[in-house]
Amino acid sequence: MTLFSVTKKNIQGNFKNYLIYFLSMIFSVVIYYTFVALQYNEEIQTSIQSWKMLQSVFVEASIILILFVAVFILYSNSFFTKKRKKEVGLYSLLGVRKKTVGKMLFYENLIMGAIAVIIGIFFGTILSKLFAMMLLKLLSSTVNVSFSFSIDAIINTMIVFTIIILFTSFQAYRLIYRFKLIELFRAEKEGEQVPKASIIGAGMAVALLVFSYWIVFHPITDQSLVQLSLFLVGMVCGTYLLFRSLILFLLRASQKNKASYYRSINFIGISQLLYRIKGNARTLTMIALLSAVTLCAISIGYSSYYNVEEKTKNMSPFSYMFVSKDANFNHQAKGIIMGDKEHPVQASLDIPVIQVKGDLSDLKYVPYGHSADSVPTKLISVSTYNQIMEALNKKKGNLHLKGELAAAIRPWQDNTNSDYIGHEVKLQLSKGNRTVKLEKMFEKRIVNWTASAPDIYIVVSDSLFADMTKQVKPFFYSAYKVKNEKMTKETSAKLMNLNAKDLELSTFYTAYTEELQSSGIDIFLLGFLGLVFLAATGSIIYFKQLTEAHEDKNRYNILRKIGVSKREIFTTIAQQTLFVFLLPLVIGILHSIVILKAIFGVNLAEKSIIIPIFTAIVAYVIIYLGYYLLTVRSSNKIVYK
Amino acid sequence: MKTIVEAKRVKKIYGVKGNVFTALEEIDLTVCEGEFVGIMGPSGAGKSTLLNVLATIDAPTSGDIVIDGTSIINMNEEKLSAFRRNNLGFIFQDYNLLDTLTVKENILLPLALAKMDVTELERRVEAVADKFGIRTILDKYPYQISGGQKQRTAASRAIVSEPSLILADEPTGALDSKSATDLLESLKNLSEQDKATILMVTHDAYAASYCGRVLFIKDGKLFTEIVKGNETRKEFFNKVLAVLSAIGGGAHDII
Repeated sequence: MTLFSVTKKNIQGNFKNYLIYFLSMIFSVVIYYTFVALQYNEEIQTSIQSWKMLQSVFVEASIILILFVAVFILYSNSFFTKKRKKEVGLYSLLGVRKKTVGKMLFYENLIMGAIAVIIGIFFGTILSKLFAMMLLKLLSSTVNVSFSFSIDAIINTMIVFTIIILFTSFQAYRLIYRFKLIELFRAEKEGEQVPKASIIGAGMAVALLVFSYWIVFHPITDQSLVQLSLFLVGMVCGTYLLFRSLILFLLRASQKNKASYYRSINFIGISQLLYRIKGNARTLTMIALLSAVTLCAISIGYSSYYNVEEKTKNMSPFSYMFVSKDANFNHQAKGIIMGDKEHPVQASLDIPVIQVKGDLSDLKYVPYGHSADSVPTKLISVSTYNQIMEALNKKKGNLHLKGELAAAIRPWQDNTNSDYIGHEVKLQLSKGNRTVKLEKMFEKRIVNWTASAPDIYIVVSDSLFADMTKQVKPFFYSAYKVKNEKMTKETSAKLMNLNAKDLELSTFYTAYTEELQSSGIDIFLLGFLGLVFLAATGSIIYFKQLTEAHEDKNRYNILRKIGVSKREIFTTIAQQTLFVFLLPLVIGILHSIVILKAIFGVNLAEKSIIIPIFTAIVAYVIIYLGYYLLTVRSSNKIVYK
Repeated sequence: MKTIVEAKRVKKIYGVKGNVFTALEEIDLTVCEGEFVGIMGPSGAGKSTLLNVLATIDAPTSGDIVIDGTSIINMNEEKLSAFRRNNLGFIFQDYNLLDTLTVKENILLPLALAKMDVTELERRVEAVADKFGIRTILDKYPYQISGGQKQRTAASRAIVSEPSLILADEPTGALDSKSATDLLESLKNLSEQDKATILMVTHDAYAASYCGRVLFIKDGKLFTEIVKGNETRKEFFNKVLAVLSAIGGGAHDII
């Protein structure tokens, strides 16, 4: 009998034991292939206009997926190996040479991996069609998706998984060299050493978490990569230590209360949790972090979709806008806008603007591609500002500014959340510089944004504005606000077809559809990652609990003989499982709220952010609850089998 | 004297139509309070089946069993669990200790299940531990102690709730002769001094010689019964050997 056939028999004979590991490998391949196939899908490429730009987003997402898939496979591999140590020990005991055993394990892993990749690609093809349809639906595209094997996607998947599987196979080969024979035999039997509850560990955990939270709230500097890695390390280590010391603390505390500890079978559940403390800390950390990532992904994706209209309104406050300098164009545009009877004009406005060079060194935000001391800065007068407010809000604005006091409007591309109030801006004019002091700051923009023009707007007092018009000639924006601007598809298209070179023409509708498309892709990508992480979280807990249920089966059997009723055993299983589920969920939600707060800044209290986040959390908790019930049920079944 | 176990025409059939195996054929058994009864017989005679049926772990096909005045036939799952917990104590060949619990926790398990007050519970555990000489290892885990200590822990657990009946299935099977003797002495003392009722299944004639009465089972039927009476343990031991060779259970059972 050759080594190869022994290996084959091994897999055939113990297929049930292998199933969990095998399934998680298939799962990984399916997920990865599905995603990569989307990336190479021609129908999608043709229906997304800005595909070139998006491609890098897809590549980034697939890197996250590779990392995830690698961790997931390694994790299930270590679970699998733990279960098989005894078998390996037995081969060794029977006199099979170490090298032979190693080779056998190597081939075994390799064969399983190869089969998993084939099956995974098969299911991935089906799934990728499904997801492609979903994505195109989100983009409201009418392109039909055909079934196709993407050779590029297959090659990509093959390369990634060959590396991962070769690595795990090599790990398997080394298994027998890594442990002494006696250790292999004891693997499952001996309880893990219960670590002592240490104050240092708990203190470290808190310190690390505070540190990583602190980094998140720190404004982003040039060294964002260093920041990000420090944050990640702090969060991972902190969470791990937290679980290690927190679990110990909670369990030890409940042990101290003897009256309740020794009541019924409470202490059986507690001692079982203590028994597996190290492994639990690791798994709980993983689940908490995965939950946090999932929640963040879903929240961000959903809120971007949820806020498209709000965001567009801030980007393009007016329905149509252009620079008024070409009389012919003005006439044509006016004709088109007025001719649209379905969308009557509610307000139209000519906005006088002065553009000068400004020194923004005092502010934290500098527009990309400009040096801080010479940024094209646009000025409008306070009375114009109040008029605009009236046009947009149907309510007269009541801003008053005197002398050198001014107000700033946050530029579209400023994501720093920094405060401008109290800072000074030097305006460079031909007859000497003027310095204005920023007294107010507005988050709501007043002029449509176009990529071609700089976007710093400062509202100055009427006297100052009048003073400056003597030196710099103002230009005018023509702005229209119409009813039901979301539906102005035709009018918007007609305007866009005019020759509007250098006129900064912008329409609400174009901005809205662009925003809708990009957030559609956002929600798809983030939703996809979220789903993957959710599935992974669930299966990690599920497999862990089921493996443990198998190990515990004998213990529950003994308890049954002693006279513990089925209901009591069910209760203790439910309690232990709850402990394992609840702790990481709570920590994961906390983490995600902190990360989201860092991403969305001070706006976290706003309804437009709170609702998507809240919805995401509730949805997650419900799915998670489903996992919990399923796990309790399955564990209970295993115990009685 | 009070009757603890009263089994009448207990029958146990395994399997379904066509492939039936009769493990017990209408066995009658009566055990009184304070008795130490041994059950012997060749492999496959039905000893363990009988013990399991009496232990309520397995249900008889027909017949009636009354333990300490309560019929255990037709009890539902919930009631059976409660009954086992309150009335029975178990000692198994492979100890059946929970490896996640310390020795002390293993022993107090039945008391915790009965929701006993903590101070009373700890007092009882210490008393029992003293009786079996395992006080010094109370805080150790099962994998840290020897086989003999494990079996004494199991025995402590069996008697700590002062059950009306203690069931022992090959308790000395995995022990060396010194540990076995210690355990048997302890069990004998329990029945003589504390009036504990013990039913022990064994292969070992030496272990059986500690009993006050030994039942022999063959092919699911009661073969014979011998009583120690006033004989010495040595004489009783020889008697057990004689019956065993008469049954023809195979010489390997004796040695």
